[in-house]
Amino acid sequence: MKQHYHSRIKPYLLISPALLLAVLFSYRPFILTLINSLHTISLSGKHLSFIGLENYRRLFTNPSFQASLSNTLRFTLFFVPTNIIICLSAALLTNRSGKLATLNQIFFFLPMAVGLSSSMMILKMMFNPSIGIINRLFGLNVQWFNNRHAAMALLVIAGVGLDIGLDFLLFSAALRNVPTDLLEVAQIEGANGRQTFRYLQGPLISSTLLFVVVTNIKDAMLISSPVMILTEGGPFRSTQTLVYQMYLDGFRSGNYAMGSTIATVVFLLTFSVLLLLMRLERRRVYYQ
Amino acid sequence: MKRLIPIAATLFSLIVVFPIFYTISASFFPYADFTAIPARLLPSAPTLDNYARAFSESNLLLFLTNSLYSALVGTILRMAISIIGAYAFTFMEFRGKNILFILIVATMLLPPDALILENYSTIRALRLTDTYLGIISITLLAPTHLLMLRQYFKTVSREYREAAIIEGCSDTRFLATLLLPISKAVVITLAIHSFSTIFNDYLWPLLVTNRESMRTVQVGLTMLGFSENLDYGPQFAAITVLMTPILITFIALHNPIQDSVSTHFTGR
Repeated sequence: MKQHYHSRIKPYLLISPALLLAVLFSYRPFILTLINSLHTISLSGKHLSFIGLENYRRLFTNPSFQASLSNTLRFTLFFVPTNIIICLSAALLTNRSGKLATLNQIFFFLPMAVGLSSSMMILKMMFNPSIGIINRLFGLNVQWFNNRHAAMALLVIAGVGLDIGLDFLLFSAALRNVPTDLLEVAQIEGANGRQTFRYLQGPLISSTLLFVVVTNIKDAMLISSPVMILTEGGPFRSTQTLVYQMYLDGFRSGNYAMGSTIATVVFLLTFSVLLLLMRLERRRVYYQ
Repeated sequence: MKRLIPIAATLFSLIVVFPIFYTISASFFPYADFTAIPARLLPSAPTLDNYARAFSESNLLLFLTNSLYSALVGTILRMAISIIGAYAFTFMEFRGKNILFILIVATMLLPPDALILENYSTIRALRLTDTYLGIISITLLAPTHLLMLRQYFKTVSREYREAAIIEGCSDTRFLATLLLPISKAVVITLAIHSFSTIFNDYLWPLLVTNRESMRTVQVGLTMLGFSENLDYGPQFAAITVLMTPILITFIALHNPIQDSVSTHFTGR
């Protein structure tokens, strides 16, 4: 009898740490964030009064938030295509065997070995307008941190630097899985590189492409740490993103309700991207 | 046209790897090399001064210890939680099994960065700010690990376990002597992934540590005080110290890394 009782309780004991953590650090904060966004909150974190969607109205008429939202969307719009084109061409160019190709492949995924704050510090020093290597090497005089376009471009470069390692590996793996006999047939039939990609490799790597695009969009909309280290949102808020503003409002200015409201907007944005992924996944065609 | 591909690939890959190359090279620059015109790519007279200063004029070693310690403890706990959870979800029957599994895995949909405000107040209420447990707290649950381990454990027939249990083998012994040895490859891959995730985390450790003595290296690296004064040598040296072991590991393991990405993400 004791044995029986023991075996019934055991599975729950084994999953309890995971379950406890899921509730404590995911569901509870998620629900509290939603509730907070509907209240005014004192500096000590007490709910003062229920105000419905007033925080959202205030948020969407707030120029700082409008800037964050538009910067985040602009960053996503610039970053995702740039990153996909760079990573995919890197994978296509090194989709060969041989020592040189292997060396090139190692170079392409090596940035993955550099942690986020290291790579941001490297960029910050390399792009320093006065003594950084980039301006001096190319004889430029670009004010990378004082010009809004340059700062946004720098953030895109930073984003690509952070993602290229993994995304390159994903594309390479997908390309290597294209059956070689099909490629040989294409070659015998006289297909050129572009045709081979369009009619053969492209369709066969479409599921990887979809996965990378969607995770890129999700990551781009959540970008904050690179902003924090590299540009601090400047110049003139031109690189201030949603999660960065959430951090500023919630931790720096103690505007807890606003921070929670931005967090809720971020949840909604990421949910819609994930829903889009699931819809597309269902329609996804397997060619193999 | 065909012959241009290797050349283009090489040029392109050199651009991508340039920041890493420059960081290592600049860590040996004497001070004057940073302002030399034309710009230098290699040190005029290589020096180790920057390394000496990086360690003596900052708390780099302390930050590094904090990071290694929290990543190590975090990885062990995270793997243990994932393994026992995946074990129960694979080999045991219990009421609510599916819904509980979905509940745990669905946390993947909630981006941690958007939860930091509330998680910070939880950690503060639990008085865990400036503690190692606080630093690793939100990373302890890894739904992707749980999912992958369950997927892997499923390839082991349930009859094995039932036979083992009937023979008087405990769950613990079955796990330790049979299941884990045959899952070694996937467990090691996930552990390496966990270690680098916790080690490289930036935003959360920044929030939960206020005392300098508890700072992790990713946070500390941005506050060493060198780059702010345009004193780049020691800063590049500190970054080189931090990234070199990982670079070597990546170069040495490039084949298994490429294979594991290929199997984990494309599922083939």
